[in-house]
Amino acid sequence: MSLNRFALFVVLNFFIFDGVSQSTNFFYGSFESNGVYYQDSESSDYDKKFASNSYLNLKYNLNNKWVFDLQTESYLPLALQNYSDLLEDTFVSTFSINFNPNDFNFTLGTIYEQFGSGMLLRTWEDRQLGINNSLWGIRTSYKKQNLRFVLLGGYQKKANTISEGKVFGFDSEFTLYEDKNTFNSLLVGLSYLGRLEAPHYVSYPFDDLTNSFSVRIDYNTDSFYLNYEYAYKSEDGVVKFNTVSETFVKNGNANLLNAGLIKDGVGIDFTFRRLENMGFYSERVEFGSPFFETTLNYLPALTKQHDYLLTNINVYQSQPNISFQDPSLMKAGEIGFQLDAYYNIKKETFLGGKYGTKISLNISKWNNINGNYDYENEDYDLEFLGFGEKYFSEQSLEIRKKWSEKFSNIILFVNRYYNKRFVEEKVGEINSKILVFDNTLLLNGEKSMRFEIQHLFTEDDKKNWLGYGAEYNFNYNFSAYFNSIVNYGNELEDKPAYSNFGMSFSKNASKFMLSYGKQRGGLMCYGGVCRYVPEFKGLSFSIITSF
Amino acid sequence: MFKKIVFTLILAFYLTEFNAQKLVPNIPLETFKGTYTTMNKELSEDNFYILSFWATWCVPCINELDALNEVYDELSDKLNFKVLAISTDDARTMRRVRPLVNGKSWKFDVLLDENHDLKRALNISGLPHTVITKQNQILHRRVGYAPGEELDLLDKLRQYELE
Repeated sequence: MSLNRFALFVVLNFFIFDGVSQSTNFFYGSFESNGVYYQDSESSDYDKKFASNSYLNLKYNLNNKWVFDLQTESYLPLALQNYSDLLEDTFVSTFSINFNPNDFNFTLGTIYEQFGSGMLLRTWEDRQLGINNSLWGIRTSYKKQNLRFVLLGGYQKKANTISEGKVFGFDSEFTLYEDKNTFNSLLVGLSYLGRLEAPHYVSYPFDDLTNSFSVRIDYNTDSFYLNYEYAYKSEDGVVKFNTVSETFVKNGNANLLNAGLIKDGVGIDFTFRRLENMGFYSERVEFGSPFFETTLNYLPALTKQHDYLLTNINVYQSQPNISFQDPSLMKAGEIGFQLDAYYNIKKETFLGGKYGTKISLNISKWNNINGNYDYENEDYDLEFLGFGEKYFSEQSLEIRKKWSEKFSNIILFVNRYYNKRFVEEKVGEINSKILVFDNTLLLNGEKSMRFEIQHLFTEDDKKNWLGYGAEYNFNYNFSAYFNSIVNYGNELEDKPAYSNFGMSFSKNASKFMLSYGKQRGGLMCYGGVCRYVPEFKGLSFSIITSF
Repeated sequence: MFKKIVFTLILAFYLTEFNAQKLVPNIPLETFKGTYTTMNKELSEDNFYILSFWATWCVPCINELDALNEVYDELSDKLNFKVLAISTDDARTMRRVRPLVNGKSWKFDVLLDENHDLKRALNISGLPHTVITKQNQILHRRVGYAPGEELDLLDKLRQYELE
């Protein structure tokens, strides 16, 4: 009996014998399945084929002290387009035993953890992106009043196998000051993460063990906050074309500064970040893997995360790494900032109207780090505050307004610059403006409808796009939608158009969705992480349920 | 292969029918102060809690919380409930949470589940996801938000109040 079957057998037995439990011992879990019949795909491997990804998670709670957690995944008959080739068939993906007496917490097996803001370590699961970079090992944490300490070590999950590199580290946080009745607090933190991976055939001029550490400080008051985190990664070989360089050896560092002002009805947040060679993987050669396998840290793009179809074209991806493509395209990281402002115009004022108006503004700008880059000798010398070639900039303004009991809308304007050459290492620069109107109308009973219209204006790349869509909610459980985006400005004879229609049914903690249509190919981004997806047309379904 | 899919589906529905998560797990969550609290501590009062899992980038989540905020003052005492908005924003957008909450003048408490520990422990896959709980017992949960659905949620509370 394989390990997979054995684990499933044990869990099912647990479940069967637990049928009548009513104490604190109980089973729970979730099931999710996403499938597509590819009627037509850019990728010949998928043309006229069915593919699906399914996840069954089962947990067992024992006396509120123990949690047993098992996740089985199925990629049958094959994984959805652009998920790792290693994801195939059915296998036990994660398994852990967690013991949680008072101040201590022990985990054996799968570990999800984040140190600070994740610049050294973040292990998490994102099914939409096919990321599960959890560690397989042991973790212990201790938490008491003003101290929090985590110690862990293990191997990293890599699809259905584990990585070769070993990972171990600790995270600590001390609350130096806290006022129970206000927001006033002062905290400091210190983390360490080591990655040990011995190279196979070559003797490299750097250590097998790469050390990284970070320090952070977090200061909060009722009306102001300030956080700063510094991270450092010791010398390591630069990876190019899946090969670790014997000559190009560099250390890395990161600076993250964040400050905000808070008042009732107003909120302002400012973030500055400088990343220099901070990509970190438990297997060096997985560097830049499109499936994010063995990635250890989380360095997302710090830009506004959008939710509309046309605003998701030309989305920025963070540039934490060294890349020497040619003498005119050399990067060693990124430097930039983001500003967010939120303002609530009060009810019964001239601009606020009867229901008030909510405004949010976002400004971001990201550049290469300026310095002397030497292509021949594979070296660079960077300025600390040097803004080099611009990668991306964006200004966006969103106004949310409720006009009456029944009608409300959102107006969004985005002005964006995207340097395709420096971000994607392709050709071109794109200046675009996007306008979105998203309207909601409440009808009788539980019925409501939403309709949106959006336009992307640009003279560059593929030119103008128009998008529109409508959604009708028959009741709180059942809705149907249609949306379409048309690249009508494109010089191609056949203007690319992507239309989709579908329905969704939800009841309690379950949701079922069915849709048919053509999906745009290209860079798809969720949660600040992007991946290329081939264009396809097909029938998709999705089931999620928690129990 | 087909058999496997059918088996998994049946198993999933079977589990849904006969078992349900009963308690809110006692997971540590971060506050705006950067310090940690636990669910047991947050849910210790003898009233209903609406746990609303949301994110700053999730449009329907914000719509739901805006709508709940509209009726909160009027109904929270009458129906004896509190809203805890649990942000699942990760390091990318987490710093935006406090300014957004103030900019929107939301009146309820907000906690941060930055690396999704509570979200994972409650097996939540899609946002928004709403849980009604009292004395740590999970009474009701639902996924998604349709305009006006907050009224249905409050009706549920009225029903529980009568029981």
